Amino acid sequence: MKNNNQKILEQTLTRRFFFLSFLKTLVVGSISWRFFDLQIVENQKYKKLSNQNQFNYFIIPPERGRILDRKMRLLAGNMDSFSLVLNWSESVDVKALIYKISQIIYIDKKDLDRFYSSLHEKKNNNPKEILITRNLSQRDIAKLAVRNVEFPEITFSMSKKRVYPQGKIVGHITGYTGVFSKLDKLDGKVVAVPGLDVGKRGLEKFFDTELRGKFGRKRNEVTSRGHVIDTQIYEKTSSGEDIQVSLDMSLQAFAMQRLEMGNYNLTSIQNKGIKNQIKFNENISYINNNFVYTNQANKIVNPHSGSVIVMDVENGQLLCCVSSPGFNPNMFSNGLSDNEWSVLKNNTRSPLLNRSMSGVYPPGSTIKMAVALAALESGIINYKTKFSCTGVKEFGTSNFHCWAKNGHGSLNLMQAIEQSCDVFFYELGLKVGIDKIAVMMKKLGLGQYYNIETDEKTKGVVPNIKWKLQRDGVNWTYGETLNASIGQGYILTTPLQLVTMVSRIANSKYAINPSLIKNNNNKEFNNLDINQEHLNFIKKSMEEVVLGKKGTAKKYKIGSKKVEMAGKTGTVQVVRITEEEREKGLIKNEDRPWKKRDHALFVGYAPISKPKYAISVVVEHGGSGSSVAAPIARDVFKNLFKI
Amino acid sequence: MNYKSNKFSTDNPTNILLTKFLKINWVIVLCVVFLGFIGVAALYSAAGGNWNPWAKSHLTRLIIGVVLMFIITFIHPKFFYKLTLISFLLGLLSLVFVKFFGVGSVQRWITIGGLNVQPSELMKFALILMLARYFDQLSKINFNRLFSYVIPILYIIIPGLIVISQPDLGTGLTIIILGFAILFYVGVSLKFVFIFLLTFISSVPIIWQQLYDYQKNRILVFLNPEIDSLGSGYQIIQSKIAIGSGGLFGKGYLLGSQSRLNYLPEKHTDFIFTLISEELGFFGAMTIILIFCLLITSIVKISFTVDTLFSKVIVFGVGLLIFLYLTLNIGMVCGLLPVVGAPLPLISYGGTSLFTILISVGVVLSINVHKNEA
Repeated sequence: MKNNNQKILEQTLTRRFFFLSFLKTLVVGSISWRFFDLQIVENQKYKKLSNQNQFNYFIIPPERGRILDRKMRLLAGNMDSFSLVLNWSESVDVKALIYKISQIIYIDKKDLDRFYSSLHEKKNNNPKEILITRNLSQRDIAKLAVRNVEFPEITFSMSKKRVYPQGKIVGHITGYTGVFSKLDKLDGKVVAVPGLDVGKRGLEKFFDTELRGKFGRKRNEVTSRGHVIDTQIYEKTSSGEDIQVSLDMSLQAFAMQRLEMGNYNLTSIQNKGIKNQIKFNENISYINNNFVYTNQANKIVNPHSGSVIVMDVENGQLLCCVSSPGFNPNMFSNGLSDNEWSVLKNNTRSPLLNRSMSGVYPPGSTIKMAVALAALESGIINYKTKFSCTGVKEFGTSNFHCWAKNGHGSLNLMQAIEQSCDVFFYELGLKVGIDKIAVMMKKLGLGQYYNIETDEKTKGVVPNIKWKLQRDGVNWTYGETLNASIGQGYILTTPLQLVTMVSRIANSKYAINPSLIKNNNNKEFNNLDINQEHLNFIKKSMEEVVLGKKGTAKKYKIGSKKVEMAGKTGTVQVVRITEEEREKGLIKNEDRPWKKRDHALFVGYAPISKPKYAISVVVEHGGSGSSVAAPIARDVFKNLFKI
Repeated sequence: MNYKSNKFSTDNPTNILLTKFLKINWVIVLCVVFLGFIGVAALYSAAGGNWNPWAKSHLTRLIIGVVLMFIITFIHPKFFYKLTLISFLLGLLSLVFVKFFGVGSVQRWITIGGLNVQPSELMKFALILMLARYFDQLSKINFNRLFSYVIPILYIIIPGLIVISQPDLGTGLTIIILGFAILFYVGVSLKFVFIFLLTFISSVPIIWQQLYDYQKNRILVFLNPEIDSLGSGYQIIQSKIAIGSGGLFGKGYLLGSQSRLNYLPEKHTDFIFTLISEELGFFGAMTIILIFCLLITSIVKISFTVDTLFSKVIVFGVGLLIFLYLTLNIGMVCGLLPVVGAPLPLISYGGTSLFTILISVGVVLSINVHKNEA
């Protein structure tokens, strides 16, 4: 019985043993299957995830190409700059750390502001690198390196900082770079690269792709707490291309200075009268720190604002392209503070505006060559046709005045250009009609964009009958034709368009287009398609403006045997003068508020024997073209031809 | 038939020792030592290729533990039978003690002479002994009466609940599963098996309410690790990444990026198998699982060659104990089971579980050595 019981028990135990062993096998089997699934089937997926854990991938910004002038002088280059980077993770006490660091080195407030704003920008609590400052000196590095142990969370990196050695004289042309922001796109897609500069304006923006070069790639091996333990570069960078521009920096610098000075005097601040004025005036523009510009009455004045452009009439290259006031692009590469930005932005003289290319002005009398050419080409007048000027043209109910109160008497076209007679051109305008004038202005390059290497372009306005009807829904009036004939009214041009117009006249053969790049010889120009004889006659008239006895710019001959200039002055009325004011006698330009003073313009070319360079000078609210703009043009030519 | 009737042999001591030595099951010993050394190597890697802080101390413990195992091997099982009750009571007492005077935020350890001891680990083996002793007189037990189950269930439930309340859900559940599996093994009538199962399933909601928030959270996160990918789900996600990225042959010894860069939590204790899988791949992981299977099979096989139920239950129980340790741990690291805190026997860093296994295996070896001495 006992044996039997024992036997049954043994059987039960064996059965249960095998049942449990079966269960165990199932469990081990399912675990093995799980490992097979994870390690073999889904291996690639987890490999990728592990890789993402192990490495942080970075793009290494390449060294940006340089911008050089025609004589290889540096306009934009790169300077070594040392950056301080925080390897941020949740465990870092940022406040205490920054406090400790600022005990050792000076950190600029605007850098700190930017650091804190990017600290608060972060989306998650994953560790990441945050730039503290890019403006460390060698000394700062040495000081911090000694105490490196205290700050395991910070690292130094050497990067390149964009520098513009020419400063503000060419800021509008070079533009500037800035830290890549989310709004910018690189090759069509948005990528975040710490410390990558991208062009924001000017040539930097236009040639951004060429200047940037090719990215390298690196990966950092990071621990789960974000400590970088190794860096591997697996794709090298290649530097960007250099860009050589057609500008000549010595001419540019001279033109800038000459434009700003105008007819003012350079006075030392040690001068007694000046010292007193400085006490009561906060916004003074100092010249070289020790001088100020003063007018005839010995009052401190702001430097002139405006534009000077010199263009090669054979290939359209710009030798100088000044816009005053300028801005210093280095401000941007040092990280512009809100304060600096608002000063730039709120300056009434708008230093950020590139007047040469985006500033629009009525061309005034500088348009008269276009009107004359339109008349000659349409055959309405010949070289001998005369009109009589009594100082005023009565038309309808209005009086249209000539700048010479008592009139010029009877004169032909050449004399009218020489003396800039307005009444002659009123008559001419009426005969030719606005539409034909507009066609000629377009032929000469007005009212259009050029294929020039900048994003800052303005079309200006070349009005005609259709344009007026489309814009205002009102018919064109003859009075408006009269205004347009002397470059007032609707018509608006940029200084670049004016210099292009003169270049085309001077070249006479091709419709030259402007360019900022030196090696663009393969550029082909269209034929100008204007009667050569007519052009020669207009050029002769422009010579008379300088050389003639009654020429409006006769005081400002270059006076060299080899080189003389031809040109045309222009004085642009900014506010309408009423009949009453005219009868009372005109208020002198200098006595009006700055904003209401006339613009002074001059366009011209030199040498007259074989035209090589064209120039346009615009002095905003500078006074008359003959007394202010013409001497600037003469001096720039003198500098250019080394006379 | 039981050990009360056994007599000590009267042979000459040297002869006895030699006979016993030859009767040792060397497969079990080799498996244990091999796995122990795997543990040393893995801990060396976990410290980034450093003997400190874990590998050296694990090796020391392993040597001491194996010596202890051999000593136990030469002790007659009758002695363990006598120690059963006292060891179980001592275990219970220390569990209660730990509840009130424990070290750390969760009361799992007590300090004895500078060593941190985790009584719940030792309790597992004490329970096996206790149940073995109880079922030794199986012929007197009527499995058709419910009353027969009261005492063994109390043996199981009391330590199990104390451990769960420490709180240590993993170890507590191991104790309970271990106990019930032994009950099943010795032949509980199937009627009652179903009753137990039904009771257990219907009490799940009540148990759920008794759980601590962190325990509930762990189970919820187990069901969907993504709900807390930076908190408690982080461990399991990172562990799966480490295992999965290991591939067939692994990233190479000492080259596991997940562990080296500290993405693996608890890489020296509960997640040591993840490190091994990452560095040695599917191949390495399966080799270790197979060695464990060989060890477990070699142990439970002994149950067919011994006569007393006391021995059978112990042998079967120790095999089951190692199996439970293994599957809970590996199931946890690969995301099949919730993160409950279960060490990998012989490999994870931690003295108590290592000694528990080595003592248990020592007793198994002793039973095997002394089996034909009745």
